[in-house]
Amino acid sequence: MKYHLPEARVIGQQLTGQGIYLLNILAPEIADLAQPGQFVNIRSTRQLDPLLRRPLSICGVDRNEGLIRLWYQVVGKGTQLMCELLPGETLDMIGPLGRGFKADLTGKKAGLIGGGMGIAPLLFLGGELAKSNSVMAFFGGRNIEQLPKQGFMPKIPCQFATEDGTAGYKGLVTDLFAKWLEQESPDMLYACGPKGMLVQVVRLARQYGIPLQVSLEAVMACGVGACLGCTCAKSSKDEEGWLKACQDGPVFWEQEVDL
Amino acid sequence: MSVAKPDLSVEIAGIKMKNPVMTASGTFGFGEAYEDFFALAGLGAVVVKGVTPEPRKGNTMPRLVETTAGLLNSIGLENPGVETVIKKYLPRLADAGVPVIVNIAGNTVEDYCSVAYRLSSCSVVKGLEVNISCPNVKAGGIAFGSRPESAAEVVNAVRNHTPLPVIVKLSPNVTDIAEMAAAVEAAGADAISLINTLLGMAIDIRTRRPKLGNIMGGLSGPAVKPVAVRMVWQVARRVKIPVIGMGGILTAEDALEFILAGATAVAIGTGQFVNPRCCMDIVEGIKKYCETNEIAKITALCGAAWKEENNAGC
Repeated sequence: MKYHLPEARVIGQQLTGQGIYLLNILAPEIADLAQPGQFVNIRSTRQLDPLLRRPLSICGVDRNEGLIRLWYQVVGKGTQLMCELLPGETLDMIGPLGRGFKADLTGKKAGLIGGGMGIAPLLFLGGELAKSNSVMAFFGGRNIEQLPKQGFMPKIPCQFATEDGTAGYKGLVTDLFAKWLEQESPDMLYACGPKGMLVQVVRLARQYGIPLQVSLEAVMACGVGACLGCTCAKSSKDEEGWLKACQDGPVFWEQEVDL
Repeated sequence: MSVAKPDLSVEIAGIKMKNPVMTASGTFGFGEAYEDFFALAGLGAVVVKGVTPEPRKGNTMPRLVETTAGLLNSIGLENPGVETVIKKYLPRLADAGVPVIVNIAGNTVEDYCSVAYRLSSCSVVKGLEVNISCPNVKAGGIAFGSRPESAAEVVNAVRNHTPLPVIVKLSPNVTDIAEMAAAVEAAGADAISLINTLLGMAIDIRTRRPKLGNIMGGLSGPAVKPVAVRMVWQVARRVKIPVIGMGGILTAEDALEFILAGATAVAIGTGQFVNPRCCMDIVEGIKKYCETNEIAKITALCGAAWKEENNAGC
């Protein structure tokens, strides 16, 4: 079930790094149903420019309070308007949308690899997985500004990497992940981030033979499978049909899609 | 004084609709995408995605670019092909309580005819909408809909391959839209829908390359509405067959403009992406307008902006 909340109320918004915001929205129907990896499609203006909604992964939910949490970077007109929203103001939201991570594991070891704003859905996932599994997270960004902060991080062990060395390991998050794989044997891997990072993670997962789910980013219009604007390349050419990031994804088994 | 229950029903080429609000092809899937937001039975008619004889993969990514109050798309008629549509997608629309119109497309006259013929045997299909904006591969890729002769040729051929009502969707990318309308009317069209998207493009100044994978795409959304209203006006004054108006409709006010310009019904496309309840909000808004303005039948407003007899009372 998808809900349309034309006037979801902003509960709070804070800057967590340069141009990066954490937004709490009252959306009980969506918070109730949302699974890690799913997203919402948001319109933060009634004006006609920007016209379309912005798809954002859900970073966390508080089901008791009916809240959903989004962690996003300002990249254009839509997110700029979003970051100006004050508590008590409203935005127009559809959700929860898409297929989330398959995370019904118990007593397993899971590895999460996130880069940039791709970390957002993994924060939600990490918190859920950690209830009954052992989880290790690898989060990377260009600099310390791009990393998640205490306060909205789930309580999971985590290693950080930054390209400029302002926090954690100086270098790529995939280097940290590769080192970990030399010693550990996880049962399941989850990744979200830039394409270059995903390609590396896929390569490593295949090398060690560990199942991997990836969450893909795409430009979308409808977010509900109608417009076919976010079609992804299927890895198997002989199958009938196509993949839509909004409906068949945004989470896929790595072998389903051709990155 | 207000009219308690205005009659919103309209008829397009024998297709009876409870209100004048339809979906625009290619923006509503096969009717499943918005089912959580409203019941299909609330619509006047559902127009489903363009169908070709064979499955089509569509164009390369990126396929969407947002522009000022508009959307450029180059989806490229991605669809699973007529046989899969008949087997997999149409049966679930049988009990939806709404007339189903299938948009058809092709690269040759034979393509259109074979899809039309095949769909004519499906009881769920109440009408065909012919997308004549496709390139004609036998004529060097020039769109069927860009010349009156080639448009008439494909419409006449489809007409001879189906007993279903034939609605012809006109391309706005022509010099004289009224001439195109007259040509397809003479060729046997039962109704005309317009406008399809306006050809456009956008360039990324950072990469210095076109933003769309296909370079050019079709512009839709509020940005195109004045062009669409003008074309509906010109076409409705020229032909006797009913006109379905579309192009940038987001609100009931927008829809009413098209009706006043001469549209019997309207279709919503990009508006659905903006507001998933757009079609229903428009039905309710039209009803309210009729109540407030004492319009007993919506058909009385059709073309009222130019029909003198209707203007006399204003």
